[in-house]
Amino acid sequence: MRIVARHKNDIVIFDLEGEIKRSDITDVTLHQLVKEQLDGGKRKILLNFDAVEFIDSFGVGEILASYISTHNLGGKLKLVKISKKLFLIFQVTMLTKVLDIYEEEETALKSFF
Amino acid sequence: MAKNRLRSALSRFVDIKPGEEVIAVFLFLYFFFITSPYYIIKSLRNASYLSGLGDENLPLAYFLTAILMGFIVNFHSRLQVRLPRSRLIIFSLVFFFSNIVVFWWLSGQGWKWVPVVFWVWANIFAIVLVTQFWFLVNDVFNPREAKRMIGFIGSGAQLGAILGGVLAGVLARKAAWLLLPLAAGMLGLGILVVSGVFRWQRQQTDKIDSEARDKAAKSTKVGFRDAFDTTRQSPYLMLLAGIMMVTLVVSTLIDWQFNSIVSFKVEGKNNLTSFFGYFNAGAMFFAFLFQLLLTSPIIKAFRIRGALLLYPLILFLGTGGIGLAALAGLIPLVPAILIKASDKSLAYSLNQSVRELLYIPISPEQKYKTKIFIDMFLNRFAKGLGAVILAVLLWLVPRAPGAQGGQGAIRYISLIVLAIIAVWVFLNFRIGREYANLVKSKLEKQYERGDLLVAQRLDVDYTKLVFDTVESKNRSSVLYAMNLFDLIRQDKLTPEVRKLISYRADEIRAASLGGMFEQTETGLGPKTEDELSEDVLKKDVQEIMSLDVYQDVMKDYLEKTLADKSAGAEVARMEAAKAIGFMDSRAPLVGKLEDLLEDGSPDVNRYAIQSAAALKRRVDVPVLVQKLKSPALREDALDALRKFGPRIAGTMADYLADRGEDNELRKTAAAILASIGTQEAADYLSWELTGAGVALLDEIIDALDRIRTADPRIRFPGETIRLTISKVTSLYCRDLVDLHSGAEPLGEDASRRREKQLSDSLWNIFKLLGLIYPQEDMIKAYQNLKVGTKDSMAYSLELLDNILERDIREVVFPVVEDLPLEEKVKKCRSLLASLGEGKDRNGRD
Repeated sequence: MRIVARHKNDIVIFDLEGEIKRSDITDVTLHQLVKEQLDGGKRKILLNFDAVEFIDSFGVGEILASYISTHNLGGKLKLVKISKKLFLIFQVTMLTKVLDIYEEEETALKSFF
Repeated sequence: MAKNRLRSALSRFVDIKPGEEVIAVFLFLYFFFITSPYYIIKSLRNASYLSGLGDENLPLAYFLTAILMGFIVNFHSRLQVRLPRSRLIIFSLVFFFSNIVVFWWLSGQGWKWVPVVFWVWANIFAIVLVTQFWFLVNDVFNPREAKRMIGFIGSGAQLGAILGGVLAGVLARKAAWLLLPLAAGMLGLGILVVSGVFRWQRQQTDKIDSEARDKAAKSTKVGFRDAFDTTRQSPYLMLLAGIMMVTLVVSTLIDWQFNSIVSFKVEGKNNLTSFFGYFNAGAMFFAFLFQLLLTSPIIKAFRIRGALLLYPLILFLGTGGIGLAALAGLIPLVPAILIKASDKSLAYSLNQSVRELLYIPISPEQKYKTKIFIDMFLNRFAKGLGAVILAVLLWLVPRAPGAQGGQGAIRYISLIVLAIIAVWVFLNFRIGREYANLVKSKLEKQYERGDLLVAQRLDVDYTKLVFDTVESKNRSSVLYAMNLFDLIRQDKLTPEVRKLISYRADEIRAASLGGMFEQTETGLGPKTEDELSEDVLKKDVQEIMSLDVYQDVMKDYLEKTLADKSAGAEVARMEAAKAIGFMDSRAPLVGKLEDLLEDGSPDVNRYAIQSAAALKRRVDVPVLVQKLKSPALREDALDALRKFGPRIAGTMADYLADRGEDNELRKTAAAILASIGTQEAADYLSWELTGAGVALLDEIIDALDRIRTADPRIRFPGETIRLTISKVTSLYCRDLVDLHSGAEPLGEDASRRREKQLSDSLWNIFKLLGLIYPQEDMIKAYQNLKVGTKDSMAYSLELLDNILERDIREVVFPVVEDLPLEEKVKKCRSLLASLGEGKDRNGRD
């Protein structure tokens, strides 16, 4: 999995690429990267799943851990362009009640304000 | 009026119902007027043969008869095809009448061959006319009717035999020339009587059946080969044939012994004729008394199986006596007379009756064919076989060590007879068992239990879930997704369901679940670029929900949701309730289910109940039980508790046993134990039977019946079931007596209620019987009693008569038997007195 961070205004956008799964743990996980940004004072995090091919429960755990860390610091973590399958899972597990999920990046960015 | 008087007179000897008196008398007379001439002819036959040719030539007579009988059978069956039964019988009677005239002339000619021909002809006379008589009886009566009346009708033969025998005895020395004309005259009267039988038949409302039978008999081409094949292909008929053969082989050997001993002691043709005349009369007098007074009661008390054993047992003892007497060097005239008398009287009373009863459950087509083979051909063939055995023995005996001429022969023949009787007894045991199976096969199951049909054909849970899914589409996409997921989880997301719940393309939002099941031309299915693997989905959801971080994230959300009792938050609470059902039962968030089960919204409750069923936590059981009291949630709670399965059998048993608990709840506990269906559940229910009040009894019995239906291996306590049968029978009798006592007429509503109670009690009796007897048989018997034809009702009773043990039969039969109402009420009263059950349904005396 590759994670590339970019910034738009004070929003950190993580572009995730590849597969987020247990067996593919990189040196730095998504959660760690998010925490780094939070440590750097960022409070608005957007996760872009457009190029994500596969995500397992480990990946979801990473997302949730990132969400908690952000939330606990008063920040907001949102998701954009997740797959239909992932959306289904989030619906079934009620995560859509907690996580803000958007179809388009522009809409997601606007929602931070 | 005259008929009533006739019935009243007959009812002293026979259990006769209205409408049966005329045919009973006709058949009695018919049998009388064919047997009386036969016994005159028989006496003449024996005397002329023995005096003309001697006992050593008897095997020849038996043999010739056996050979010729094959041709007679063939000829008779050809006639049966061409002629209706009525015409065949009358033709046969007229034919034999004319034969008697011919033999009357021949007897004066002194030709040596006449006794041989007369012997053979006399046997044919007996076989043909008696077989035709029994064909007719089989046509007219079903098994229950036959059992009641066979004693009386059969006694016509005995009386005829007595008269024929006495006439032969008296006239033989003084006016022997008169005997054959007398025989012809009696046969002539028989022709008149049999015409009356056919006239009666035509008048009956079910003449369609007899026409159909006649048609079946006529159109059935029955050659000897066909008759033989029909018999050979049926194990039951082969047993019948086997029994007939051994009976007649034994009878032939005993007959030879008797004739041999008598011819040694009595000299001269006329003396012999007289002796045989008186002997036959005496034997038939005893047979008459036996038939009239004992045959039906013996069959009723011991049933067919027991009744079959009496005849061979008596012959066994008698033959043993003859053998011992011969061993002691005596010419045992008295034992020979006794055993021959026993043989004759039992053969023509009990044995004949039982044998005819064994034919009744056979299909008409089989009956026509097999009777021809067995009663006509095999009858004489067996005698021929006996003759061959006899001939061989007589040839061998002089060579046997210690043989002393006639006494030696008697001794060895006795031994052979004893061995054959042992085989006979074995065959009787076998056929007794097969008879019950055959009666069973005549009964068809009329319908299946409704709840079973629904359960077999419909997955109720699945149906409810599909409805929930479709309904939730409009309420919440999350709920909708969860319901879809639930279908996936249970492997029930079938193509049909996908089609049913599809979205139209323009309604799809990219982010909505519906997009996953977008309708295409070919129906629903996931898009190929984002294929949904159901197994992966299940696994993913499970894993996510088990994450500690997930539980942490969702905890606040759930607490906020549960705290918001507004109408707008109802859907959110429904979603929460549903989602909890997907979690592991040990997950911390599952604890929130208790709040959701107590939620004020029935919809939220419903989803919470479903989740409780999925999680199966014992802690939720008391709440679910309380939900049984709510009309809106009862079914859901019941379903949920059922899903707990055997784990809560003990808990349900506690509710059932708690007499302080609400009755409806106790009934539901019984229903849940029924769905659990284990031996433990059956035991709990059985324990409650003895103390159960009337209100609960129906439910418990039904629950036991359902358990029995689901698993035939489950065992029930026999004694408890028997006691409950008595209890329910008492309830039935009490209701029947109250309904028809006439002391205080019941109102329409009360009458209807009582009728329903009667019907319920009757069904309960059969459900209970199904717990200790083959359930399928009891169901068939019940259904055919309630909705069957006259014949199928009779077969039901016959089946019960053969299966039920005596003590249960005595309790149940007054309730199930087809008796006139007054008699039924009377029997119920005496049953209530004997059971000591004077209390009504409410416990009042």
